[in-house]
Amino acid sequence: DASPEYSRKGADTCIGCHDEQATLDLFHTRHGVPSDPRSPFGRGQLQCEACHGPGGDHAGRVRRGEERPPVIRFGKDSETDVLVQNGKCLGCHEESADFAWHGSGHDDNQVGCADCHQVHNAHDPVRATASQPEVCFDCHQQQHAQSLKPYSHPFDEGKMDCSGCHNPHGTGTTNTLFVRQTLNDTCYECHAEKRGPYLWEHAPVVEDCSSCHEPHGSNNPGMVSLRGPMLCQTCHSQAGHPSIPREADGLADAAPSPYLLARNCLNCHTQVHGSNHPSGSKLMR
Amino acid sequence: NAQVDPGEWKCEFCPFTSGYDAEVDVGAAYVSDDAARFGNANGYDEAGAYVDLGGEGHYANDGYQLNWFAEDLGLASRVFEIDGGHQGSYGFYLGYSELPYRLFDTTSTVYTASAPDSLTLPSGWVRANQTSGFTNLASSLVPQNIESDRKNFTAGGHFLASSNFRFYADYRHLERDGVDMVSGANFTQASILPRVLDNETDLIDLGVGYSNGPLNLSLAWLGSFFTNNVTSLTWENAFTAPAGEELRRMAQEPDNDFQQLSLSGSYRFNAYATVIAFSASMGQGGQNDSLLPYTINPNIAAAALPKTSLDGKVDTSNYAVTLTANPLPKTRIKLAYRYDERDNQTAQVPWSRVIVDSFASGETELNTPYSFKRMQLNASGSYDLFDDLRVSAGYDRTDLDRSFQEVASQTEDSGWARVKWQTTEWLSVNAKGGASSRDIDRYDTTVAAGLGQNPLMRKYNLAYRYREFGELMASISPMNLPVSVSLSALWADDSYTRSTLGMTGSTTTHWNLELNWAVSARASVYVFGGEETIEADQAGSEAFAGPDWFANHEDDFLILGGGLQLAKLWDNTDLRLDYTHTEGDTRIAMTTSASGRSQFPSIDTTLESLRVTVNHKRSEKLELDLSLRYESFDSNDWAIAGVEPDTIPTVLSLGANPYDYDVWVLGLSIRYRIGAAKPATP
Repeated sequence: DASPEYSRKGADTCIGCHDEQATLDLFHTRHGVPSDPRSPFGRGQLQCEACHGPGGDHAGRVRRGEERPPVIRFGKDSETDVLVQNGKCLGCHEESADFAWHGSGHDDNQVGCADCHQVHNAHDPVRATASQPEVCFDCHQQQHAQSLKPYSHPFDEGKMDCSGCHNPHGTGTTNTLFVRQTLNDTCYECHAEKRGPYLWEHAPVVEDCSSCHEPHGSNNPGMVSLRGPMLCQTCHSQAGHPSIPREADGLADAAPSPYLLARNCLNCHTQVHGSNHPSGSKLMR
Repeated sequence: NAQVDPGEWKCEFCPFTSGYDAEVDVGAAYVSDDAARFGNANGYDEAGAYVDLGGEGHYANDGYQLNWFAEDLGLASRVFEIDGGHQGSYGFYLGYSELPYRLFDTTSTVYTASAPDSLTLPSGWVRANQTSGFTNLASSLVPQNIESDRKNFTAGGHFLASSNFRFYADYRHLERDGVDMVSGANFTQASILPRVLDNETDLIDLGVGYSNGPLNLSLAWLGSFFTNNVTSLTWENAFTAPAGEELRRMAQEPDNDFQQLSLSGSYRFNAYATVIAFSASMGQGGQNDSLLPYTINPNIAAAALPKTSLDGKVDTSNYAVTLTANPLPKTRIKLAYRYDERDNQTAQVPWSRVIVDSFASGETELNTPYSFKRMQLNASGSYDLFDDLRVSAGYDRTDLDRSFQEVASQTEDSGWARVKWQTTEWLSVNAKGGASSRDIDRYDTTVAAGLGQNPLMRKYNLAYRYREFGELMASISPMNLPVSVSLSALWADDSYTRSTLGMTGSTTTHWNLELNWAVSARASVYVFGGEETIEADQAGSEAFAGPDWFANHEDDFLILGGGLQLAKLWDNTDLRLDYTHTEGDTRIAMTTSASGRSQFPSIDTTLESLRVTVNHKRSEKLELDLSLRYESFDSNDWAIAGVEPDTIPTVLSLGANPYDYDVWVLGLSIRYRIGAAKPATP
């Protein structure tokens, strides 16, 4: 077969039919800037057909009853194969320092760029902090539910977005797409005080914050995975108070127990993330 | 086609943007009640009236751009950003934002911060061995909110030196101020203290990217510098103390820094659509704050410190390489290897602890600078069995070596399979399942004994574990119907079958169902529901022998919601409504050999949230937004319910109450558009 042909007049051909505002809003975006030679509308570029592919047949005459030949369409409802869609985007955007798309979790799952991005929209929701989580939660429904748990990061207030911790385009950090090399390095972006190194370290802390915390939300204060003191007792079994079972008779209306109430274990061992006090080996100082 | 020359395309009908346009929001809101949790992150924590400002503006001309964005300027959650530049040449941005953290507004304390690092008791404070003996407690308590604010300054830019080279720099300065909770231990007693927070973090990213055809390279440097302006906390012990020994002191988070150099890149081969990507990072972190003496107690003849500062050093290494290829038609493979290392090079030194500023332990103990090496190997492949059916399978292996811990070497093998089935244009199903086995070389009970642990304890992050998991996602969009349904379900089961004490098993189940209905071109409706249950079992030993107590935890979380959008409800008037109902339920059952099975009261949290916005377009330039937000939250957390400052005999607490509030916010804002970006001459 001969290669498909491009239209005769480029975007002027397309706009002749596709003149709705939602389409023309592209000219309010970075894709519609003619002075940028890299832009689809830069001089010598293929304009609409840079992304949508050759549109000569699509724009040509069609016999009555005959279906108009398609061009490349984008989005979840598109009949165009997602690899073809993404190939168009990656043709330009692969050359970006923060891209490690190939082999990323989203690539593995054949997520289309246009599944998340609205390229014609000057206010692409996935690029704004307030609206981004809603886009991500469309697929990540478990994380959506967790974000509404009693203790979570402030996604619901529109003050934190998913890309604060995750790079959806891939970072070479396996499928979790962290913005830094490891989970802990990512947490230290905002919680650098926990990085240390401390004189007295708490072993699981330096290795994996998620050993104790549920970063997308939890039923428990501090976004920890279990209630104290039981959380601590899953690891600490020393003779004496760490190994003693705590029951409801230690609640406020019975015999109030310092091991159950207020901050439970943290009532004394307050430095669970590490201590820099010479007398702090038990994480109390 | 050879005849086409895009250089000749005129784009006469293209409405390129040129000029300035902006919209300014001026609004006011009324908040009905004080509620710290409600105001967390948004700044509406106190009842009363608020004035708010926001908006955005854009200037564009011949590739030059200048944009600004403002949000919630009248609130403690304000955001202001500017960005600009010449597209294709350079760009810059500046930003400032605040994020309020509001934890409790029902707390009170007897302490006063006489200095950021010093908490003093009121004059005439009556000490006692138990909180019931604090005879002037009630008269000494003053309200003290537990709240802080993050202030975030950002600046950065990029420069395209050529079509191949891109330089960038990003800077972020984060300040945190406010009051947090810590606990000041006094051996068998403790006081919960309102400590002053005052710290800063500076983050710098510098880098250069190079791209040339199939080759991309990036060289980057990260610098992160944490500075704590309050590096210790001294407090007066509220409990009985010998004369002259009333002061206690703890260290706060020390200053630390971390720097990392990274080289990453990828190369795309023509053969088999092969892409090799890699990253290599080397980092070093340090911490060398001056150490406090062993004790502030002048009556204890503590030993001299072995060193006056830690001189802590951690080296990190992170290497990764990934290969993806399509070696055969319809076939894709992926091989990935990753190595992460934290090498804590801080010297081990003997220390001689003074226990809670009260008495010398008389023993020496070595600090344990933990290190680990983690190696991950992933191999997976997929094959398009039919046009609508893709099958995938993979194998993952993780090796983890640690120092100073009970398990020196741990290996996890995982296998999984996935089916992605696009049965028709209206139904797609994605199902995945697998299992993993985490094994260890041995659980070194000698190390455990050195920590005083029961030799039967198996810490859950170190123990043998067998995991099974499965997940299902389905999307249904019936043809010719404006309805779509999506379903997701997840199940994971962890068995710690070789653990006698500690975590013995946990199960997570989750389901979610969402329905969207485009009723008409002007109306859409959605409803959703979901539930997540996390169940965990653990065993303990009070007798320091075999298991003699068992705990079962069940965290259940239910979510229901829905909403609608109506466009042109009336002329130029749109309406949006969102409703969310959530229920959290934590149930803990204990079974002990002494008292049999008992149940803690269920910890229930209920949230009702309703948000309604009516937008009226008065003209092309003028819009009005009327918003109503209602939120109700109720919790009966037994950890703090009924716990007044003197409820626990040995803990002077802050008396926080469980969250229980009903707040509504009524807002009105006016949006006015200034100017209008005009089509430019092509």
